[in-house]
Amino acid sequence: MFVKPSRRRRVAAAAALGLLLAGCAKNAPQDTFDPAGSNARSIDDLQRPVFYVAGVVGIIVFAVVGYAIWKFKDRGQDIPEQSHGNPKLEIALTILPAIILAAICVPTVSQVFSLDKKDNNCVINVTGQQWWWEYDYAKGSECGGVVIPESIVTSAELVIPANTDVLLRITSRDVIHSFWIPRLNGKRDAVPGRLHTLRLQADQPGLYTGQCTEFCGLSHARMRQAAIALNTADFQTWVTNQTEAYTAPEAGTAAAVGQSTFIAQCSRCHQVNGLQDGDGKPVLAEPDLYVLSGAAPNLTNLLTRTAFAGWTFDLLTDECRDTLWNAPPDEFGALYLKGVTAECFNEANLREWIRNAPAMKPMYTDPKNLGSTGGKTRGMPALGLTEAQIDEIIAYLLERK
Amino acid sequence: MFTTGSKLFLGASALSLVSALLYAGTTDGALSMPGVLGLLTATIVFGFLGGINWYTRDGNVSGAQEGVERTSSAAQPAGSNSMWPLVAAVGVGGLVIGAVSRPVVFKVAVVVVLAAAVEWMVLGWSERASGDSDYNSGVRRRILFPLEFPILAAVGLGVIVYSFSRVMLRLDKDSGKAAFGAIAAMVLFAGFVFASKRNVAKRTVTGVCTIAAVALFGVGVASAVQGQRTIEAHPTTASEAAVCLEAGTAGEIDDNASQSVSAKSSVIANVYLQSNNVVVAYVNGVPGTAFSSIDVPRSAWVRVLFHNDADQSHRLTARLGTFGANAEVIQCTTAVHTGHEAFLDFKVAKTNLASSTPIVLMVPGLDGQEIQINVP
Ligand code: HEC
Ligand SMILES: [Cu+2]
Repeated sequence: MFVKPSRRRRVAAAAALGLLLAGCAKNAPQDTFDPAGSNARSIDDLQRPVFYVAGVVGIIVFAVVGYAIWKFKDRGQDIPEQSHGNPKLEIALTILPAIILAAICVPTVSQVFSLDKKDNNCVINVTGQQWWWEYDYAKGSECGGVVIPESIVTSAELVIPANTDVLLRITSRDVIHSFWIPRLNGKRDAVPGRLHTLRLQADQPGLYTGQCTEFCGLSHARMRQAAIALNTADFQTWVTNQTEAYTAPEAGTAAAVGQSTFIAQCSRCHQVNGLQDGDGKPVLAEPDLYVLSGAAPNLTNLLTRTAFAGWTFDLLTDECRDTLWNAPPDEFGALYLKGVTAECFNEANLREWIRNAPAMKPMYTDPKNLGSTGGKTRGMPALGLTEAQIDEIIAYLLERK
Repeated sequence: MFTTGSKLFLGASALSLVSALLYAGTTDGALSMPGVLGLLTATIVFGFLGGINWYTRDGNVSGAQEGVERTSSAAQPAGSNSMWPLVAAVGVGGLVIGAVSRPVVFKVAVVVVLAAAVEWMVLGWSERASGDSDYNSGVRRRILFPLEFPILAAVGLGVIVYSFSRVMLRLDKDSGKAAFGAIAAMVLFAGFVFASKRNVAKRTVTGVCTIAAVALFGVGVASAVQGQRTIEAHPTTASEAAVCLEAGTAGEIDDNASQSVSAKSSVIANVYLQSNNVVVAYVNGVPGTAFSSIDVPRSAWVRVLFHNDADQSHRLTARLGTFGANAEVIQCTTAVHTGHEAFLDFKVAKTNLASSTPIVLMVPGLDGQEIQINVP
C-alpha cells in the first residue's frame, strides 16, 4: 500500500507515542521505580541518578548525531578536507567516559555490599521448584519478635512482618530459578545445592507481587509469587493460625468424605499437617517418590492464601481480590487474615485445577513423556476424579484455613 | 560424447542412487526415510548438474573458433604428478580396515577420503581452468589456501597442545612446575633473540621452530606411551555405617576442598566441634547464636561446614533417617585433623516423622553431642 510521507510520519509518531504511553500503565504492581522498602529504596536512590546521567549523555549523543546528519547532509557541496586522527580528542573521549564510569562505580560497589548485610530479625527458607515457591519458617526461630512454635511450610505467598529486616535463604530443588519482588529488593538466583541470601523489608503492610525471573522450563511464566507484609499483631495472628492443631471435619459431612478421598488421592504428594488415617497414624506425604523436584505444596492452610499454583490462579473472586489489593495499609492485614471466605471463594479455578491441572498450567505429567524421570512428574497430574469426588475434596479444602 | 564435467556429476549421481538403494535395503523403520530422501535428492541434483554440463559441453569453446587448438583450456598441457590419488587410495584402504577393526580408524579414513577428493578435484580442474597457464597455476592456491591454512594451523596447534599436555601429565608435580618454567623461559628467550636481531635468516627461524616442534611431538608421544603419573584421589566423604559411626582418626582430608570460597559462602550452617568437645551449629543468617538444631528444607541439597577445634581428629556424621524397611541413611566426612575443616553435603527427602531413627548430625566417639536436623 502506498502511504504518503507525511502520513507515514504520522503513523510512526503515533506508534512511538503508543509505546511511550504503554510504559505508564496504571495497573503495574511490579514496578522497580516504586520502591516500598529500605532495600529497594537504596537501589532506587542509586539507579535514578545513574539513569538521569545516562539520559543526559544519551540526549547529547543523539543531538550531536542529529546535528551532524543535518549539517553535513549531501547538498552537492565539495567533499570536505579529509583528516585522520586527533589525539587530543581521542584521549579526551577515552578519559571522560572512564571518569563517569568510575564515579558511578564507587556508590554502586558500596551499595552491593551494603545490601548484603546479614543482621536481621527473621530468617525464612525459600525453595524454588518447577513451578512454584515454597517458604518455610524454622521451628523455634523468631520472626520480627514473634516466636514460631512449630515449623510452618507454605507456598505462593511469603508472609513477613512489616518494618522488619527479613533474611531469605534461597535455594532450589531442581533447576535454577530467581526470586524477585521488585518493590522490595533486587533479584536473587535460586541454585540447587547452593544457598543465597536476600533481604526484604517492607515499610507498610500490603501485598507486593513478583515472579520467577530465570527461565526454568515449560511454565516459567506461571511461576509467580507475592510477599505479604503484616504488622506485628497481625503477623502473630497469622503464625498462630498456621500452627494451630489440625481439626478434622465433623463426621458425616461432605468434608469428612472429602478427607478420605484426599487421603486416597492427594496425600501421597501433598502434606496436610496433623492429618491422621483411620487407625490414628499420621498421613505423611512422599512427594519424593512421585514428583521430580521431591516436593508438592503443603495444603494445611490452603485457604489462608489468595492464589495457588505458582500464585497464578486466584482463590478469591475478582471483586474480592481487587478490594484486597487496593486496601489501605491499616486495613490490609485484617482483610488478608480473613482468608478465603464463602462469599469470596473463586470455586471455578480450584475445581478446574483438581479436575485437570495440566490443562490449566502446562506441566510434564503425561505418562508417555516420563521415561527420562523414572515416572516422576513435574507438576500435578490429572487424576481423573468424578465430579462428586471433586465436590467432597473442595468441601474438605474449604476448611483448611 | 560426455564431457569431463558431466562425467563427474553423472558419476556422482549414479553413486548417490546406488547408496540410496543400499541404505534403504540395509536400514529399516523411521530411521531410513530421511537418509533415503537425502540421497535421492543428491541423485537428482547431481543428475541435473551433469545434464547442464553435458548440454553446454562444460562451457568449452566451439571448434569453429580460430586458434582454439592453442588457447582453449582443453589444449593446456596435462597436469603434473599429484599425490592425491595415492592419499585417496590410502583413505579407501583405511575405510576397509576401519570397517572391520575400530570405528575411529573408519572415521579418520572418511576425513582423509573427503579431503583427498576435494583436493584432487580442485587440482584437476585448476590445471585446465583456462587457456592461461599463469592463471591456472595461481587459481588453485586462491581457492584452497584459505581452507588449507586454517585447518593445517589448527591441526598443528592441536598436536603441540596435545603433546605438551601429555608431557605435563607424565611429569610429577614438582618437575612439572620446573619444566613449565624452563620451556616458557626458552620460548621467551628465542623470541627475544629473533626480535632483537632483525637480520636472522628466515631459514634459521624455520629450522629452530621445526626442531622444537618435532622434539615436543617426540617427547609427547613417548610420554603418552608411558602413561600418566598416578594422581591420588582424596575421598572427602563416606556413606558406610562401618566408617561413619567409628570415631575416626585415620585417613586423610582434602584441605583444599574446604577452602573453596564459593562453597563456603553458601553453607546452611557452620558446625563447630569446640575445644571442650561440645558441638554447636551457627546458622547462616543468624550470626552469633549457637544452635543445637538446624532446619533444612526437605528434598533439597544442603551443605554444612565442619570445623574441628578439638585436640584430636574427628569426623562429622549425618544420620539421615531410616525409612520403611530401608537401612539407615548415613553420610560422613573423613577424619578432620585439629584446626581443619570439611564440607558435608546431604539431602533428606522425607520429614522427621517418617523416620524411625533420629535425624541428626553427630561426632562419633563423643556421646550426646548431636545437632538435631528438623525437616518440616
Ligand atoms: C503426583 C503428585 C500430586 C498429586 C497426587 C496431587 N498433586 Fe496437587 N500438586 C502437585 C504439584 C507438584 C503441585 C505444584 C504445581 C505447580 O504449582 O506448578 C500441586 C499443586 C496443587 C495445588 C496448588 C497449591 C499451591 O499452594 O499452589 C492444589 C490446591 C493441589 N495441588 C490440590 C491437589 C488435590 C486436591 C489433589 C488430590 C485430588 C492433588 N493435588 C494431588 C502434585 C500433586
Ligand atoms: Cu522458576
